[in-house]
Amino acid sequence: MNNNFEQFTQLVRRWWPFYVMLAPGLLYFFVYHYLPIWEARLAFHDVRIIPPNTWVGMKHFIALASSPVFLQVLLNTIVISTMKLVFIFPIPILVALLLNEVRSGSYRKLVQSVIYLPHYLSWVVIAGITIATLSPSDGAVNEVIGWMGYNPVPFMTDTGSIRWVLVFTEMWRSAGWDSLLYFAAIVGISSELYEAAEMDGAGRWQKIWFVTIPGIAPTIATLFILNVGLFLSQGFDQVINLSNDVVRSHIDIVDTYVYRIGLQTGEFALATAAGLFKGVVGMILILAAHMISKRLTGKGVW
Amino acid sequence: MLNNSRSTPFERVEYILILSVLFLMVIVTAQPILHLVAVSFSDPANVPGMSGLEVVPDGFSLQVWTLLIQNPNVQRGFVNAALITVVGTIINVIATTLMAWALAQKRLPMRRFFMVIVLVTVVFEPGIIPDFFVMKKLGLLNSYWSVILYRAVFAWYLIILIRLFEEIPGELLEAAELDGANPFQTLWHVIIPVAKSSIAMITLFYLVLHWNEFFRAMIYLNDPNKWPLQVVLRQFVVDGDKVGMVGLANVSSYTDVSQISIRALKAGMITLTIAPLVLIYPFILKYFTKGTMSGAVKG
Repeated sequence: MNNNFEQFTQLVRRWWPFYVMLAPGLLYFFVYHYLPIWEARLAFHDVRIIPPNTWVGMKHFIALASSPVFLQVLLNTIVISTMKLVFIFPIPILVALLLNEVRSGSYRKLVQSVIYLPHYLSWVVIAGITIATLSPSDGAVNEVIGWMGYNPVPFMTDTGSIRWVLVFTEMWRSAGWDSLLYFAAIVGISSELYEAAEMDGAGRWQKIWFVTIPGIAPTIATLFILNVGLFLSQGFDQVINLSNDVVRSHIDIVDTYVYRIGLQTGEFALATAAGLFKGVVGMILILAAHMISKRLTGKGVW
Repeated sequence: MLNNSRSTPFERVEYILILSVLFLMVIVTAQPILHLVAVSFSDPANVPGMSGLEVVPDGFSLQVWTLLIQNPNVQRGFVNAALITVVGTIINVIATTLMAWALAQKRLPMRRFFMVIVLVTVVFEPGIIPDFFVMKKLGLLNSYWSVILYRAVFAWYLIILIRLFEEIPGELLEAAELDGANPFQTLWHVIIPVAKSSIAMITLFYLVLHWNEFFRAMIYLNDPNKWPLQVVLRQFVVDGDKVGMVGLANVSSYTDVSQISIRALKAGMITLTIAPLVLIYPFILKYFTKGTMSGAVKG
């Protein structure tokens, strides 16, 4: 007993400064991440003007499951995330492969420093740029379409094209930056492998196919799994800034729905339920992603 | 460069094709931004007829910029954004560095427990409504602190910094301990100088996060006088609220201001919002490689 106590005081004496350093951060995580989890119990209540709120169990979740609007929102989320995964995921890999072929260091640096930039722009700014660039009257894209002899397309207010706007603006923003991780992986491949391939008479494409791609395969796998894990949690900032009344029904995703019915319409409990539903599904996806990634490549998501 | 001794004409064409594809990417990335810069510096009279492909100002005029800089909404937005960004980043960097250094101690008792506390918040997010109610109960709604504090430590950056701190060789620390330094002195005199570039990188990332913040500001700050620039920009460009931008009197009367096309104003406003980022972008390019090479960069 006495011995244990002495050990304890020794530990405290050794480590207390580090706990002091932890304190502000831990306080932050408690207040802004754990209190909200407690606050999410609202999803199981009916809000009353005069507290306390009444416990209603799964009522709001059942209401969501039978709400055509929520089901449409869920469908939109899945469709948009799938489109992004299919059409955007391969691009950064291709960009990294092309960058690696560039022999002039200064040209490569120039390309890199331009294509990384959009990653640092907010979606408000990108929405502004997109609206200008896609404008039917004086946007660059419609001008090019005009050269080819077609009529201008009002991309932002066309329900057929708005999801593609989401795909291409996301590509514009992140294809460059995301290539960075692949490029770093390519740089890490041993040059001996390339020399050996050259001895065997391999050309450019054979070296890419037999050395580079196998070399970055673990990175590709990890990032693909991570993307699947974040399937539901992408695009709030994007959609909220690129949306408008005409196309809303086609691009409203779970996050924007939660915001709309919660903070704009004031159906707090229902919105909390929708947010919680997304939180739980998202958690399952990311944990699965982490475990699969760990098993396949030995590297987890974090 | 092109004349690799063994390259055939076909390979040279191939190489030029590769360079061209990358060049096309550069154009597609840069043209929309350069176009808006060009519009904002053009003579406002010429703007309505300007091609969307133009990247050179049509005539030169600072009228748009003068108007924007004199606009009280823009001025307030800029000051608010600067305030939130600077105070927020200082808090971020201090809290993140302290926490990362403590969690980088492999033998810290209960270290795993604290790591799990952090990781749970990465994996599970209960959504925006509970966040909003916590902020409300704390009485921070409509206060700058709401926007500053809601992300005082960003879990991903914390994880990156822990990994970077773990790479610092142990001998350095032992030497400091032998000299009788306490952990705070070690952090200040040994770790921070060694990890300067890592901390610089985190600082830059936080600066960008705060500068780009619009959504939390939008929902937490009711008072338009407290809005940062991004929210002012959103009001004007995304919601198309011209009245708030140039003033009701100017919209309804025939003044110089109402003559400037909304397209030119929007272009100027977007350029203005990007400008501070472009200023720190060279530093980002300088520091970020280090972080990327050492593992996951998220955000």
